[in-house]
Amino acid sequence: MEGREFDAQVVLSPKKSPRGQLLSQYVCVRITRMDDVDIALFERDWNNTLYFFMMNADERIYMRWGGRDARGPEAYLNLDSLEVALAQGLELHRIDKAGGLPEFTRPKPRFPREIPPLVERTFARRQCVECHLIGDFDLVHKEEQTGNTDRIANMYRWPDIRTLGMELDVPKGLMVKESKGAVQTAGMRAGDRIASLEGTPVYTFADLQHRLDKVQRSAKQVQIGIERGAAKQTLTVALPERWWLTDLRFRQLSVDPRAEFDCRPLTAEEKTRLELPADGFAGEVTRIGGFAEMLRMHELKPGDIVTAVDGVVRDEVANTPDLFIKLRRNAGDTVMLDVIRGGKKMKMEAKTQRMYFRK
Amino acid sequence: MLGFHLRRLAAALPLLLLSSAALVHAQDDETVEWLGDYKQALAEAKRTGKPLFVEYRCEP
Repeated sequence: MEGREFDAQVVLSPKKSPRGQLLSQYVCVRITRMDDVDIALFERDWNNTLYFFMMNADERIYMRWGGRDARGPEAYLNLDSLEVALAQGLELHRIDKAGGLPEFTRPKPRFPREIPPLVERTFARRQCVECHLIGDFDLVHKEEQTGNTDRIANMYRWPDIRTLGMELDVPKGLMVKESKGAVQTAGMRAGDRIASLEGTPVYTFADLQHRLDKVQRSAKQVQIGIERGAAKQTLTVALPERWWLTDLRFRQLSVDPRAEFDCRPLTAEEKTRLELPADGFAGEVTRIGGFAEMLRMHELKPGDIVTAVDGVVRDEVANTPDLFIKLRRNAGDTVMLDVIRGGKKMKMEAKTQRMYFRK
Repeated sequence: MLGFHLRRLAAALPLLLLSSAALVHAQDDETVEWLGDYKQALAEAKRTGKPLFVEYRCEP
């Protein structure tokens, strides 16, 4: 369901409907201005226009609800799932009032006005503080402060649970619909309910994604607690290489430098046939960005094979040349690509660009 | 089945046309009550002992 319709369905819930009866047990508040939001307390994926929190009057957050992935903003927006979460939130509140929840530490408050580039670009111009701008300018500020030393964690926020092999039965909350890859190897099955990640209880997809985002990108494994019927167990999941890698196209403002081309990694057979190193990051160009021609950044075409960047053919992290550029080069750099086009080897210069608002 | 979907669409259409501000004003006695002020909501939750359900809606 599209966000605007979903929003309307929630806000205009009839009191007598099952959802309305659940909502009536909460104090419901809808906030449309982000200017004074405590972004530490209400930390979330800022590339969502709709997000919900269940909490108590002492600002203890019981759970988050919402979230998205590269498929689209509506991937996890589901009214049945929301009702499941609302019921869980009431149960957590009951337990909380009975003193059954562990101590919590409220994060130190932080507000959008504490992000200097956001102040310059929105508050000072009396423009709307859009959610994604909070995330984008917070990243810019962090880069300015730290020298952008951890690009993977900064750029690739909010990893996709599907990369670990988890496909949820969305209307049923954290019920696993399909288990593949790393989680299947660890023993997760369809029908399991995900209950915790790294020891932190999770109740919703948003909780799970929020906790997964806290995992060090260099981590090799995570502990996932599951419930299978009445049985509980903890699975040790070996994280696949580049488990944090996501499609950044819907987060394009967080990408810097911009290379304006995407590649798929070559298969082992393709590398052998082209006499390329098996552990190299050679890739086939699959997409040319819209600005490439306009800004005369490069002359790559879909189908080209990029085998090296500035003579470098392998990297400990990157598995494609475009990822290598994002991780190892700075915005504004010009790089020399080794390209195979139609069987013919050639060299090609490629310029990278800085996001307009970072200039 | 088609009639069902058309009825649902017809019912949802007015909601889709509402702006964010108008959405809250569209509430009536039959629909769930929403506040628009976070601090007021916190105070209300303290007073009633209810939990809070906080919606952040960003309209680009």
